[in-house]
Order: sequence, then structure tokens, then C-alpha cells
Amino acid sequence: MPEKIRNFSIIAHIDHGKSTLADRMLEYTGTVEKREMREQILDTMELERERGITIKAQAIRMQYKDHILNLIDTPGHVDFSYEVSRSLAACEGALLLIDATQGIEAQTLANAHLAKQNDLVIIPVINKIDLPAAEPERIAEELKNVFGMEEKDIILASAKEGTGVDEILESIIKRIPPPEGKMDSPLQALIFDSHYDPFRGVIAYIRVVNGKIRSGMNIHLMGTKGNFEAQEVGTLRLGLIPREKLSAGEVGYLIAGIKDVKECRVGDTVTDTDTPAPHPLPGYRPIKPMVFCGFYPLAGEEYENLKDAVSKLQLNDAALYFEPETSAALGYGLRCGFLGLLHLEIVQERLEREFKLNIIATAPNVIYKVNLTNKRSLSVDNPTKMPAAAEIDSVEEPYLKLTIFTPADYVGAVMSVTTDKRGNFLNIEYLDPKRVMMTFEIPLSEVISEYHDQLKSVTRGYASMDYELIGYRKSDLVKMDILLNQEPVDALSTIVHRDYAYPRGKRLVERLKEVIPRHQFVIPVQASIGAKVIARENISAIKKNVLQKCYGGDVTRKRKLLEKQKAGKKRMKRIGKVDVPQEAFLAVLRLGK
Amino acid sequence: MTSLYIHIPFCKRKCNYCDFVSYAGKETLIDQYVDALINELHHLLTTNYLPLSTVYFGGGTPTMLESRHFAKILGLLTTHNSPLSTIEVSVEANPGTADKAKLKELRKLGINRLSIGIQSFNKRHLRTLGRIHTSSEAIRFYHDARSAGFDNINLDLIFALPGQTLDEWKKDLETAIDLMPNHLSAYNLQIEEGTPFHLQKLNLPSEDIELKMYEYAIETLMASGYKHYEISNFAKPGFECKHNINYWKNGNYLGIGAGAHSHVSGKRWANPDSVESYIGCGGGYVSNIDNRFSTNDTVTENDKRESIFMGLRLLKGLSVDNFQGFEKELAELIESGLLMRENSHAKLTRKGLYLANEVFEKFV
Repeated sequence: MPEKIRNFSIIAHIDHGKSTLADRMLEYTGTVEKREMREQILDTMELERERGITIKAQAIRMQYKDHILNLIDTPGHVDFSYEVSRSLAACEGALLLIDATQGIEAQTLANAHLAKQNDLVIIPVINKIDLPAAEPERIAEELKNVFGMEEKDIILASAKEGTGVDEILESIIKRIPPPEGKMDSPLQALIFDSHYDPFRGVIAYIRVVNGKIRSGMNIHLMGTKGNFEAQEVGTLRLGLIPREKLSAGEVGYLIAGIKDVKECRVGDTVTDTDTPAPHPLPGYRPIKPMVFCGFYPLAGEEYENLKDAVSKLQLNDAALYFEPETSAALGYGLRCGFLGLLHLEIVQERLEREFKLNIIATAPNVIYKVNLTNKRSLSVDNPTKMPAAAEIDSVEEPYLKLTIFTPADYVGAVMSVTTDKRGNFLNIEYLDPKRVMMTFEIPLSEVISEYHDQLKSVTRGYASMDYELIGYRKSDLVKMDILLNQEPVDALSTIVHRDYAYPRGKRLVERLKEVIPRHQFVIPVQASIGAKVIARENISAIKKNVLQKCYGGDVTRKRKLLEKQKAGKKRMKRIGKVDVPQEAFLAVLRLGK
Repeated sequence: MTSLYIHIPFCKRKCNYCDFVSYAGKETLIDQYVDALINELHHLLTTNYLPLSTVYFGGGTPTMLESRHFAKILGLLTTHNSPLSTIEVSVEANPGTADKAKLKELRKLGINRLSIGIQSFNKRHLRTLGRIHTSSEAIRFYHDARSAGFDNINLDLIFALPGQTLDEWKKDLETAIDLMPNHLSAYNLQIEEGTPFHLQKLNLPSEDIELKMYEYAIETLMASGYKHYEISNFAKPGFECKHNINYWKNGNYLGIGAGAHSHVSGKRWANPDSVESYIGCGGGYVSNIDNRFSTNDTVTENDKRESIFMGLRLLKGLSVDNFQGFEKELAELIESGLLMRENSHAKLTRKGLYLANEVFEKFV
């Protein structure tokens, strides 16, 4: 009975209380017994709990009165905005959750716009009203100014204390429309997420838009052109509940012997092989990685383990791309592609934590379009692949439209930190007398270096940002190489804007001098463009390193000191004759000011 | 043959750089502590690790003990061991903790080597270090020891002190040489965690100055007839410290007292640091020690590595036979100019001396 179904998601900024509200709703609807309850029940990954963000989308079905409520939890980061858009496309409504002590943040706005584009009914909720610093009136004012919300539609809540949860559940039933959809039309089901289960293969999360999907049915994935048999369909509580079929309007899962999440793309349409839908659901696009970096094992013999580990992560992460690459300096490694910097960091952290690998990540870069003098053009995803200057006619790089929400006090600081990163100021709007929205155009390559950290630091953590890709633009870009002990280190090469090359080169060699330990010989560190050295520092030679007295025969202590010294070196990569710590590769990324 | 180390963890006051097992203000425990030492020693002497080749009282400040305490300990040793006069019996001493009469008594009890903690002759630096004596007290102490009959005396000096100039170090060194000690140890100050120095912001000499200080010590002492026989140690011919040489050769030694370390047949162990618990169990870590003795005598891999990096501290190096399994490391270190071969021995070069940790690291 579609009229008794409500499909909704929660749009919220990090720490605005989404997980707590979800927990409360699960409790109030009796979906989870109190004794089974733990915090952030939907965030299953350890990393998700730690970082307080949702990386994978999740769905859960609740029974409230005689209604079925499907909560589709969305990832909460700009890197995953496409996934968010697909999750929203599976819903008819969304709760817009705002922290009463903070206000609307950049991504909240972006996601609310996405929801509007998908014709979702938006229910504004001001959360954390129990806190002493709560300013619900000011937030209500923002909601009116920014979204044109009406005061009477805003729910005041404290998910922590359970205030307003009943009203939220009631509003979901009353204000969000039931799904439309034709039971008798050919099957069209939207895949809004999937994950890989080692025993059952890919489990796809789907929203049936039209028609029905039954177990045993032959299915066709319209985007990837895959054909499978639906082995099992069902609904989602905290586990999988098999059902004979799912009908239009319903949300559930599909298991079809799909071996790889790459064959089961988010946004794709599932249809019936025998009576296929005439066209797929709108909005599908293949995922393209935006940010690339090299992963290299610290110990060369770990290469195969690294490759295995990345392949395993890829089973569950269709956006993760990799191919083998070789660096003259670092040996065998992988060039990996990501949706954004957070995605990169998550993958790196999982490799280190879950697979116990010691890796070096080279500085991330974007894809450059290089127009050659011979009229051909190239896509360059690695600075080392940049052709010689003489062959290059022009270089284009991806640009973003960047939206920043910040307290008005920091406008000057945001302006200067953003224009320093080659940002062009576009506009400023007041959300209320204390907060503004600023927009810029800025190269993606600047945003993926240390921009976000700097923005946070100049605004004391109060600013939030969101961005969208607006296309490629020509820039005067050059490749800057680093030479250690006179040898070029390919993994430290970067693409920089010519006007910024000198200060960057200078800062980079200074940083490298700080992080590379002294050796028994002097090590020159140089930055160069082509054959021209633009900056140089010397790491002086270590002249003396002797342990003194052996007190009362305590050899163990001496050994420990030596072991510590040695262990420090083991965590380094030997390039030529120089031991280089992981921090050196980070230095390229985080130059500071 | 086994060396015996006896730890005396008492001091009048703890120096600002010191992180050894030593305590100020626990003098009232000395009697009981010595009784506990006697207990532990008594047990050890009934095992088959005799005869002892050297005896060494280290601290702390061993001269915080009264002569009667030494008499008790050395008396017990004499009844079990060959006469003390045939072996090296050293005591560490700090100026201001014994007068001439006490020094005479100690000499009479069979102590034949004195190691005096001078550290510096400079008033300012003595104060920074937190020493309890002045420069003139230290010099008087040395002369008292001589007249008490000590004919084998070591002076400990420390260089690279906070704010120390090269000239100040030269002066300290010359003052020491003028006293004509038989042995001299020159240690580079090390800042250890948990010491007051570690918590302070110290104006330490640069690495270049440190190196110059060390080079100057080596050259001056050699020119004055001292043999540079270990990284930090210099001796007139025949006065090398036998007890310490045994450590560097990774020989057998028993340590008794709080925090004392032992090494017997490739095994190492240490007593807990607390004086109170040492007294509490009457020096009785003995049952454990019995078990350690009974285990097998094979030389462990660790012990082999330790033999190398300890042995390389001696300037004459050690026999290349010890490098079995480390041929590659040896070749690389020779190649990089840190080690050299001399006949059947491998030893540190001058460069290797300054960068000894870079060498030792390869063998841990």
C-alpha cells in the first residue's frame, strides 16, 4: 500500500545531531529494542564513528502507527555529493536538521538545494534546543531568509532528550507525500547504494520507482548493461529481511550474484529483462575520480599486499580507481583516483589501520588537460607525466564554484586566505546580521592542498564550505621538480601556477630541510622548473652521534635507544642515498604560510 | 670469571642531569640496605660464579656508606673469594662525602681504585649541574685520596654543559690533567628524560662545539700520555678499568642492590629500582636468580649483537670472528669509512668514533 509508505532522509551538517535523531526515531518506533541500542547505530564503520560522518549510505525501515517509514541515511561530505543526490532521489521528503547553536552550514544549503531539485518536501528541524547556547529564534530567521520557510513549519527538537521526536514522526506522515509510482508499469528501481558482502556478493540498496521486483526475476542494469537473476529481495531493518517482492514505492535490498560494486553503480536503474522499461531513471552518471595520488609501500616487498588491499577496498567502493605505476624514486606503487580529499584520506587510513600497511602517499593532484603544440591534447593525472614545456601550447585545470558560510567577523580573513589560493571573489550575501555566504571561483588543485585547514583556522572552525565543479580553464601552470642530493625525486614533483612557483618552491625546500633528518653528508635540496633552480637549501651533515656511559652494565637501555634510532629510519623510504620520511611527501601538500 | 657490581642508591642531593637509580634523603635506610646487600651477596657467593675478577661499588654515591658498611661487605667477600688485593676493587666517590680518615680506612679495607665524580672545576657549571661541592673541595678530595694511599684514581668530567664554552672545557681538562690522575673519563652531557635538565630550556653548545670539545679532549689527553681506549675513557698504560672493560667485552657480571643489572651466560636481568622493596625482601631476588642460572648457556642472537656494539666501543675494536652473520653490515661500514680492519680486528675509525651510534644501530 504505497499510500502508507513515507521515504525520507535527513540533511544535516556534521555534528548537528543526525545520528542521534536517527537513534531516537529507531527507539520511538520500536525498531530497535532499548537493550540493543548503541550510539550512532547506523554508522557501522569504525572510521564513521570516529570522524562523526557517514561514509556509506544506509537505509532502515520503521513501523510508525500504520505507516512504514523508510529512513535513507545519506553520506555527509562534499566528496560524496553525487551519492547524496541519488539517496535524495529515492525519497519524497527530507528532514533539514540545523543545530540551534550554530546555524545553516554550506553543505546543508547545498544538500537542501539538491532536495528541492528532486521535489522533496522539506521539514525544517532546529535541534539541540536544550543547550544553553541555543538560539532557535536566530536559526528560524536564517531558515526564513535562506529557504523562505515559514515559522509554523519549523519543529524545535532536542534529539538527545527526545524533545520533538513525536512531532517529527507525525510531520513525516502528514507532510511528506506517499510515493507515486505505477505498480503495473515495467520495473524501474533506483540503486542508491551498494556494498560488498564476502558471502553474498553485492547487496544493492534500491528504491522501486515503478513496477515490482521479485526474487527469481531476471534483471537488467540499464547503465552498466549487466544481466543478473534477482536471488533475493527484501527490506532492511537492522539486518536483511527477505520478502517475495518489492513494489513501487518500497525501499529495500537486492542480491543478484553481482560480484563487484563496479557492476552495480549508484544511480543505475534496475529493470526486468523480459519486459524492460523504455528508458532508465534520470540522473545516472558514471563516477569520475577528481583527485589522484600515488600510494607506495615503504618496504618494496609490500607492493603485492598493497595491491591486494586496495583491490579489497575497491570491492566496496566503486569510486575508488587504481592502476599500477612505477616511480624512479619510490619503486612500484599504485596511482589511485578519488572523489575528493576526504575520500583519499579515508582510503589511506583504512589501508594503514585495517591492512597494517606502511605507505607513502604522494601529494594529491587533479587531472590537467594539456593542449600540445601539435594540436593534440592529453589528460594528465600525474605531474611526472607532464610533457616538456616546449611541447605544451596551454594547460587547463578544473575550476570550482566555492560557497563559504562564515560569521561576518571573518569576511576579511576568508577573503585573503581564498584569494591567496587563486580564488576569484564572486559574491557576498548576508544570511542574518551575523552570518554571511561568500562565493568564489577557485582551482580545484588549490582546494585539495591545505585550503580547508587554513579556512578552518582563520575562522576558528566556524566556516563551512561546499563546492561544485564548473569546468576547465586555462592557467599558466608549470611543473616544479624537487632534487634531493642532485637527483630528481619524481614523487615530489608538483604542478604549480607560474606566479606562485618561487614562494612555493622556497617554502617547500625549507619544509623538506626540516623533515628530512641529517645524514653523514651534506644534502642539497633544490626546487627547479625545467633546468632552472628556483630555490635551494642544504641539510647539513651529522657530525657527532655517540652514546655515553654504560651505567652499571645497563646494556638493555642502550639497546633501546639504538633501537629507537633505528626504528625511526625504518619508517623512511631510501631514495638514492637519502632516507626520506613520510612527512616529506606531506610537506608538498601542507606548506603553511 | 665474573665481575661484581654493587649499587649504592643514596645521594646527599640528586644532580640535575642524573637519571640513575639514586635517592636523596633516604640515608636512614642505609643500615637496612647494607643488611639486604649482605643477604643477596651471601646467597650469590655460595653459587659457582667465583672467583670474582673485579668488584665495583657504583651509585648513587657509594661513599655515603660508612667504613663499617664497607667492612661488612668486603669482609664477606674476603671469606669467600681470593684476597682482594689481587683484584680491582673500585669505589665511586663524590667530593664532600669522605674525609682523609675515612679514605684511609677504605684503602685499608682493600679498596684499591677510586673514581671521583668531579664533572667540572667551574663554579658556575658545578652549580648548574647541582653538585654539592666546590672546585677547591674537589681538588682537596683528590689530594686526600692520594695521601690516603690510593694509587689508582679516576676523575669523571662532563663536557658540553649548558652555556659552556670551548675555552672553559679546555680549562677543566687542563686542571684535571695537572692533578695527574691515572685514569680520566670525559663524558658528553646527555639530557635524559625525567631529569630537571630535560624540563628546562638549556642553552646547550652546538654540535660543532661538542665535536671540538671531544676532539680537544682526545688530542690533549693523548699528548699527556693517556691512552684513548674507549669512546669516553682514557688511561695511563696499565690503568684501564678492568671492571668496565668486562662490560664492553660483554663478559659475565652480577649486579646486586636496587636497580642493579646482571649479565651471565648471555642472559640479562635487573633488580627493581625501589630501595624499600629491596630492603623489604631482604635483598631476596635470589630465588629468581637461581632459575636464571640453571637455564641453558647458548649464546643468544641478541647477545651476539650486543657483543658487537659494546665491543666496538673499545678503540682496539673486536675480532672479526664476532661478525659472523653480519658480513654485509661490516663491509658497508668499512666502505662508508666508519669502521676499519686492523689485522684480525674491526674497529671504529675517527669518523666512526664521532658517529658511533650510526654504526651500533646496524647491530641492534
